[in-house]
Amino acid sequence: MNLANYVSNGEDCFILEGIIDAHAEDALKEIPKKVKHPVARFDFSLAGRINSMGIALILRCFKEISDKAEIRIEGLNQTHSMLFKMTGVFLLAAPVKAPVGRKEGTA
Amino acid sequence: MQNVTVLYSDETDRKGWNEAFRGMSHVMTVTAENGLTGVLEGLRAMRENLRVAVISSRLYPYPHPGLVGLLRELNPDLEVLLISREACAPPLKPLLEDRIRHLCILPGQEGVHEDRLPAVIDMLLKQRGWDISCCLKEGTVLHSYRLSSSDDKEDLIAKLEELLSGEGEEMELLRQKGALLADELLENAMYDAPRSGCGDRLFSKGERRSMLPREDIVFSFGFDGETLSLALTDNWGSLDPDEVLEYLTRNEEDVLDCGDPGGRGLFIVWRFLDRFHVAVTPGHLTRVGGQLHLRSTLTPEAPRGFHIMNGCEEVAA
Repeated sequence: MNLANYVSNGEDCFILEGIIDAHAEDALKEIPKKVKHPVARFDFSLAGRINSMGIALILRCFKEISDKAEIRIEGLNQTHSMLFKMTGVFLLAAPVKAPVGRKEGTA
Repeated sequence: MQNVTVLYSDETDRKGWNEAFRGMSHVMTVTAENGLTGVLEGLRAMRENLRVAVISSRLYPYPHPGLVGLLRELNPDLEVLLISREACAPPLKPLLEDRIRHLCILPGQEGVHEDRLPAVIDMLLKQRGWDISCCLKEGTVLHSYRLSSSDDKEDLIAKLEELLSGEGEEMELLRQKGALLADELLENAMYDAPRSGCGDRLFSKGERRSMLPREDIVFSFGFDGETLSLALTDNWGSLDPDEVLEYLTRNEEDVLDCGDPGGRGLFIVWRFLDRFHVAVTPGHLTRVGGQLHLRSTLTPEAPRGFHIMNGCEEVAA
């Protein structure tokens, strides 16, 4: 998985690209440390398959962020939405419709 | 010889399932409107021949939570199948406690998909594992691949996606679901199934690995233009049938577990398939899979059934 992040309108924005599985652990572990603003936005429109290990890592990441910032997610495909609903991701992060502007800077 | 009994709460309940059991001569039906004593007395006479008890969810877990225990006192080897309409699907916890490994949930309308029940009962009577071709149109090509290393995973998923190529939203969704199902099944077989003598996992998730000399992991799938059927077979046979239901129950109840509640992959497989089958021959073979229809009307949160076979006489190749 590739990760890009930038700050826009006082929000920390993250773009996740590619398959999210066990190999995404290092990248996802780093995200909570990068959240400095009260809102963290995640764009999944470039994300591919997310398997159960990816879900576990996303939940862990979001749980850590939810103590200090509101989490908004966007760009989900139908399968991502089903998966997030059944595994409780939506209890930590609210889906939003507005598209995130493409990256203005990278990590 | 009557070796299957179907237990209903009352006559109205029985009539609601009439169509599903039509033509099955070896089935004895009983209703429990006057309590369980008479029902159990009636079954006692046929206890030696009794192989399968089908219970309507109008009767279990409430008002008779102890029913399965009493039935197993009559015959400890009895296979129990719970049948339910979508609107009154039972919670999983009592099934876990009573080790009920077969649950069929049919749509509310009488007559829809009810041809399934005779096939399920036949499977239970014969103690035969599920066959991936059973729900596919005759002549559908089945694809089977034996894994040699974890590097094969993405190639196999790509092959499945290729088989599901086609335009349209439904096809795109089937392709996405199929790829996810394949991913979970392959990961389970490569990283959860291999265990040491004391039950410890031999490999970590995501670790690059080659198959061991006598290890056999086979991924099979077929698509007839409407139904996708897929199965993953390994020769470890390390999946405990009771554990499967425990994983499903735990993940369903404990939605927000940021650690690893265990079995999330199996839970996802269960929730994304229309029909979910597990067949285990302990120490020899585990087969996990099922079917998914292109126009599946089941949402992932809709109640789902399952079939978990233990000690199968035979699992079709």
